[in-house]
Amino acid sequence: MTTTPLDRRTSLSIFERMLMIRHFEEAVIQLYKQGRFVSHYHIYIGQEATGSAVLEALGEKDLICTTHRNHGHIIGRGCDPNRAMAEILGRATGFNGGRGGTLHISDPSRGFLSTSAVVGGCGGLATGAAFGLKVKREPHVAVGFFGDGSLEEGLVIESFNIAALWKLPVVYVCENNSAGAAGPQQGGYPTAITATDSFTRLPAAYGIHCLKVDGIDISAVHAAASEAVQRCQSGNGPVFIEAFTTRWPGSSPLWPELATVTDLEAAWDSTRIGGPHANWSRHHDPLLRAARELVAAGFATRDELMVRDKDARGRIAAAAKFAVDSPTPVPSTVGDHVFA
Amino acid sequence: MTAPSQKASTSSVQLNLTATEGLRLLRSMQLIRTFEDEVRTLYSGGIIPGLVHLCTGQEAVAVGVCSLLNSRDMIASNHRGHGHCLAKGADVNRMMAEVMGRRTGYGMGRGGTLHIFDAANGNLGTNGIVGGGIPLAAGAALSAKRRGRGEVAACFFGDGALNQGLLSEVMNMAAIWRLPALFVCENNGFGEFTAIGDVTAGPDPIARGLAFGIPSETVDGMDVLAVRTAAQRAIDRARSGRGPSFLVCMTYRYGGHHVGDKQDYKDSAEAKAWRLKDPIERLDRWLKETDLATAEAIDALKNGVEDEVRAAIGLAKTAPFPNASDLGAHLYD
Amino acid sequence: MTSPRNVTYRAAVLEALFGEMRRDNSVILMGEDIGAAGGVFKQTEGLFDAFGAERVIDTPISEAGAFGIAVGAAMTGQRPVFEVMFGDFITLIMDQLVNQAAKINYMSAGQFNVPLVVRTAVGVGSNLGPQHSQSLHAWITHVPGLKVVMPSTPTDAKGLMAAAIRDNNPVVFFEDRMLYNRRDPVPDGDYVVPIGSAEVKRVGGDVTIIATGRMVHTALAAAELLAQQEISAEVVDPRSLVPLDVKSLVESVKKTSRAVVVDGGYRQYGITGEIATSVTEHAFDWLDAPVIRIGGADVPIPFSKTLELLTLPNAERLAHEAAALVRGQR
Repeated sequence: MTTTPLDRRTSLSIFERMLMIRHFEEAVIQLYKQGRFVSHYHIYIGQEATGSAVLEALGEKDLICTTHRNHGHIIGRGCDPNRAMAEILGRATGFNGGRGGTLHISDPSRGFLSTSAVVGGCGGLATGAAFGLKVKREPHVAVGFFGDGSLEEGLVIESFNIAALWKLPVVYVCENNSAGAAGPQQGGYPTAITATDSFTRLPAAYGIHCLKVDGIDISAVHAAASEAVQRCQSGNGPVFIEAFTTRWPGSSPLWPELATVTDLEAAWDSTRIGGPHANWSRHHDPLLRAARELVAAGFATRDELMVRDKDARGRIAAAAKFAVDSPTPVPSTVGDHVFA
Repeated sequence: MTAPSQKASTSSVQLNLTATEGLRLLRSMQLIRTFEDEVRTLYSGGIIPGLVHLCTGQEAVAVGVCSLLNSRDMIASNHRGHGHCLAKGADVNRMMAEVMGRRTGYGMGRGGTLHIFDAANGNLGTNGIVGGGIPLAAGAALSAKRRGRGEVAACFFGDGALNQGLLSEVMNMAAIWRLPALFVCENNGFGEFTAIGDVTAGPDPIARGLAFGIPSETVDGMDVLAVRTAAQRAIDRARSGRGPSFLVCMTYRYGGHHVGDKQDYKDSAEAKAWRLKDPIERLDRWLKETDLATAEAIDALKNGVEDEVRAAIGLAKTAPFPNASDLGAHLYD
Repeated sequence: MTSPRNVTYRAAVLEALFGEMRRDNSVILMGEDIGAAGGVFKQTEGLFDAFGAERVIDTPISEAGAFGIAVGAAMTGQRPVFEVMFGDFITLIMDQLVNQAAKINYMSAGQFNVPLVVRTAVGVGSNLGPQHSQSLHAWITHVPGLKVVMPSTPTDAKGLMAAAIRDNNPVVFFEDRMLYNRRDPVPDGDYVVPIGSAEVKRVGGDVTIIATGRMVHTALAAAELLAQQEISAEVVDPRSLVPLDVKSLVESVKKTSRAVVVDGGYRQYGITGEIATSVTEHAFDWLDAPVIRIGGADVPIPFSKTLELLTLPNAERLAHEAAALVRGQR
């Protein structure tokens, strides 16, 4: 698939999203280490290019479903990082009023449906969202972001069949982050346990149009997403995009580990890369790569990028403070919203 | 769905088939045919309660596969399962009794047509849940693999089950773990009252097995010898530790989804075309043409089958129903 | 048998698994991340190294299919212990559990039985949110053909896991993650607790508190609070929910004349309703007051710490209710 280069505006917009996600996720890990919240949580570092580039290709009214690894999609979509961080800390000001936490962050005002932490749930919900759009004859699409593990759930396969049959306007974005993961046989955390030699064979068996992209190449991802959205809008049925990323080493242990905080200048000064994740930073970090590409394309100078970086850090620091300062939910509200 | 092209078993398929085996295949199919015909009559006469799902027309698939299995190989069946049970060696008397809800049946009359289990013949049961038997067969294959004696397990399911996520999950695991399993889809073109094309997306059902690297093929399900040949390949593969196979057998049910179904959704011209490929008539012709059997031998065979089934009905009609004290039996082992 | 040593709940279950797997080659484990990874809570640590990939099987995230395979394997000579990572995910295996495993022995009139164990961890309190905190054991107790156990101590966990594996029927074993690090003296070697036997965890005379799982410890803490008010509470732990040792529960209530039932699952249509009614049916003439039941709040379990804690019965509330009962205020 040939890719037309992105223009400056689009590239920078994608980069902004990625910056926000990266700093948000690093702040989450730091807050956890400070004991600001309990719970198991999942980090999107390493996958920012995929989420951001897809989200850039979406319109305001498109619908989004995500999974337990949702922070990147929420922040990348431009949802309020204050409320996202507050939700992670279980505060009343969070998107879900503190009831969902990291696993279930959702902002319906920006098109998110309910975020399922049961693997596979996203497939069903995204397909259903697309069905709703089709029934109402709205010219929008539904996007489901999930990992390679989701393809092991029968529910997702059933969804493929129905989406293809009814030509539903749904884009399935499978973020395959298992490349390079330790996997169950090496005692590390999970990688796909699958017999297929290529994940796209599964949706293809249902006649779904499939695309494969390098998940850290923002141009390629954006092109694939744009093609997918257009196909859906023309009534041609669902599209499956498989985006490959090399798993961030900090995600391999059961709890995320931040070895080094991202130093954007490492994008053009590799002597700044160090620590146990150095190899990954050098070759697989989408943020550093995007920074290099922007500078090389003449879309921004290093200094301009550093200004944006500082700005993003500032906004995230403010979000962390907002969250920490926010009240916890009022006990008497525990029964609210059980029913509508 | 159109009928497959006429690839009559009278064409030169060189098979290592003895007269004995040929007649055995014919008898097995005829037994199913007669059993189902009688069940239909009994049901319509109000003697069989509930619902029955008959496999008339599909006999070649059950017989083609099961004729190659022994009693230690396992099968799991579905709601349209009388044929699988009989082909796997079930006692006709106990089957008829079970379908009629009598105490002498395989399940003491408490299971009925949808829950006929036959452990002595390696039958994990007919099943009331679409796709329900698929993982059971794979589990039996897992056991067989552990035992290491070359045993295999086959599951039978319809085209309706193709869209069960469970099938995909189990195929994946069977492939990863190289289970000695056979996935046999009896594609009769209808899931209940709905045509396959209305509910099954994708280029071809076999793509769903191929996606996991499982050897998969489409077979003429109205030709018992074609089924048998394909099944032999699959069974050999399983027995030698090379993992699962997927067979999509193109077939047709002459009856409805259940007895009483008006079948308004069927095209009569299409139905007629399928009947021209009747598996029993086909084998009958072939056996005569190749001089493996005489008309007299075949007639005698059919009479024998009729006698057997009628005797079973007689026995079942006089058998007792389960009583109140049987209600809680075998709740726990 | 040597004298008991202090062992954690997690380790006690592991001891049972090691013991049974050594004893019986047909015992196999299936679940997600249980093999080389040793389990997300380290609950299967060491088993993969000891018994290998043939007997400790990592499945894909395909609970329905994998559990169905476990059922088929159980019908044909294996004794699988199938792990459902979080109790909430028992929903994913429901068809194979309810419509197949529970009924196969019955439907086949004993030709096939299903000797398997479903092991799942429940446990409110780690802020894992609404889809990772539930205990749906009440659903499972409702289905004839299944046995259900809910050990509260390391000793009971070891003994009941061994019993569950040796039982020729499907047994669902609910353990509580929040008890994993709890240390108690545990018998060494081969140790079995019969399924269907309750145990008095604390002898008392004024009120019977029947408690399940982690609530046993809540009840014991409540008993301490009550003792300070000079109320003597007897704590009875059913240990098995199906079959339920009604006889032992009734014996206690006949002695005390008052009962409180406490369980950690949702209160509505839950375990406490069943136990309270069973007790009432058998001991009505001995009761001085209605049986009180306390369960988890009837809301999805929220993530936030302050809200999450509200949903679970606590010792103070339990003691308060029991005291009121004893004082004739109920």
